[in-house]
Amino acid sequence: MTKSVRWQLVAAVVITFVFVAPILWMVLAAFKTINDIYAIPPVWVPDFTYLDNFKLLLSENWPFLLNSTIVTLSATALCLAFALPCAFGLVYFQFGAKNFLADWILSTRMMPPIAAAVPLYMVFNGAGMLDTMPALIIAYAGFNLPFAVWVAMSFFRNIPKEIIEAARIEGCGWFQTFRIVALPLAKSGIATVATFVFIFAWNELLLALFLTTREAKTFPVVISSFSTVTKTYWELISAATIIQILPPVIFTILMQRHIVSGLTMGAVKN
Amino acid sequence: MAEITNTGTKVFARARPEESDRAIKLFFIAPAVIYLLLLSVFPFIYSVYLSLYDAKLTRMDRKWFVGFENYERLLSDPLFLKAMQNTVVLTVSSIILEVIFGFLCAKVFLSLREMRTGQVLRSIAILPMMITPICVGLMFSYILNPTLGIMNYLLSGVGIEGPSWFGNPTFALPTVIFINAWQWTPFMMLLMLAGLVSIPDSLYEAAELENAKWYHIARYIELPAIRDVILIGIILRVIDNLKLFDLVYVTTRGGPGDSTELLTFFAYRQDFRFFQVGYGSAAAVIILLISIVVTTVAVAYLRKVQK
Repeated sequence: MTKSVRWQLVAAVVITFVFVAPILWMVLAAFKTINDIYAIPPVWVPDFTYLDNFKLLLSENWPFLLNSTIVTLSATALCLAFALPCAFGLVYFQFGAKNFLADWILSTRMMPPIAAAVPLYMVFNGAGMLDTMPALIIAYAGFNLPFAVWVAMSFFRNIPKEIIEAARIEGCGWFQTFRIVALPLAKSGIATVATFVFIFAWNELLLALFLTTREAKTFPVVISSFSTVTKTYWELISAATIIQILPPVIFTILMQRHIVSGLTMGAVKN
Repeated sequence: MAEITNTGTKVFARARPEESDRAIKLFFIAPAVIYLLLLSVFPFIYSVYLSLYDAKLTRMDRKWFVGFENYERLLSDPLFLKAMQNTVVLTVSSIILEVIFGFLCAKVFLSLREMRTGQVLRSIAILPMMITPICVGLMFSYILNPTLGIMNYLLSGVGIEGPSWFGNPTFALPTVIFINAWQWTPFMMLLMLAGLVSIPDSLYEAAELENAKWYHIARYIELPAIRDVILIGIILRVIDNLKLFDLVYVTTRGGPGDSTELLTFFAYRQDFRFFQVGYGSAAAVIILLISIVVTTVAVAYLRKVQK
């Protein structure tokens, strides 16, 4: 090992530490008693068999974790159901407004959700859907639709045109071509889109904050409520953080190859 | 259809009447387009309409047309102007930090990319960017807490008395900026890595033969290779920072005073705390207008790069 490589390695360890230490410190807190959390000098290594924080958290808040799971999974499914046919059509159909339509869909992805907040609130209020999971599912599926369409397009584009043409020549209608040929070939791409939409919906706070009040609250809303003006429940926050960040962490480790192209909507590949 | 006919084969699909073909195509594309029209375009337009009224969320049946009064009030509202200024400061400085540190990190991981240890470290170092933003905010509230936080404890070990990071008006915004940069530097790093790996080794060797200094290499070899990815990264980060909400919601709530008030947070509070939806919508429309300008540039650019 040359000297320069050794220094690079040291630098890499330092960088990694900077990006992981804050996460780890919160993870450690989840296994500490309230006294240990407040102890100065800090308790460095907690007793990992101490699980009371998790028990306390989940005994009262498991319904909201369930809400988050249901909302996120349903929103992902609903989003893909609308996005995939649209992406397929935008890639394979020939029509005049195609590029315009694709650009318009992409631009709606960039719009700030706060500018849709009050109208959405009023519509769901009028429909008697405030504080229900369907309202959140509809909103999340919609706000992730542009992303899903755009990224799915880049995966459909990777299917060799000849295969689609062959299917058409064999007499497949567009529905059959889509279902029997295109979907199976774009399977791994679709999985990527689905996981991204899942994570985006899982992490969302703003919409959930004003569309829910009691029954349909998602886990992020509950976590944010542990920090009040008068008191911050660190033992609950740390335990909840572990549960909340588990899906994104697993996702990052398993899908790191797709993260760059996903977050740049296919513009950068690695 | 034309391409299929070109292959010279007699095509069954050709016999299908044009009308039903169009209906099928519509069936693929229209649902998503209608969904988007109803869920984002309609609300945006309705926000513009609301911004011209004096309206309260609790009494939406009574509202008064006030024309551009809400906008006039906004532009002389010190809190809104401060929110605008903070958003610009936050966006610009966190992006500068992300680009600089992202580049340094990318250089380190670039030289270790063939090594298993380097790859493992890299995949751990990118964890922050997909983590739930409110959890990131709370993590740092815990670390930077003046009484129980580990940061000020460590600082006291070297004789420095750490401030109240979120409670002190001088430190609050820089602290939020650093947290934001912490979360998104790995994203910039990955982007730049994607650009840097495309540089052939022969270029570096040639530069070495010419006795080029590191800044020559950075300026004439590396920068051209990563210019496009940096621009994409900056555009996406500008758009995301305009929407930034979660981080301040769980850390400072805009305070102390107005020192971390941001545009989205301002609009949220007008709408759902004070129920001034006319006023809040006007603020949202201004955010929307800024986004449209940035987006127009972004879409044109992303399309160009994807080609």
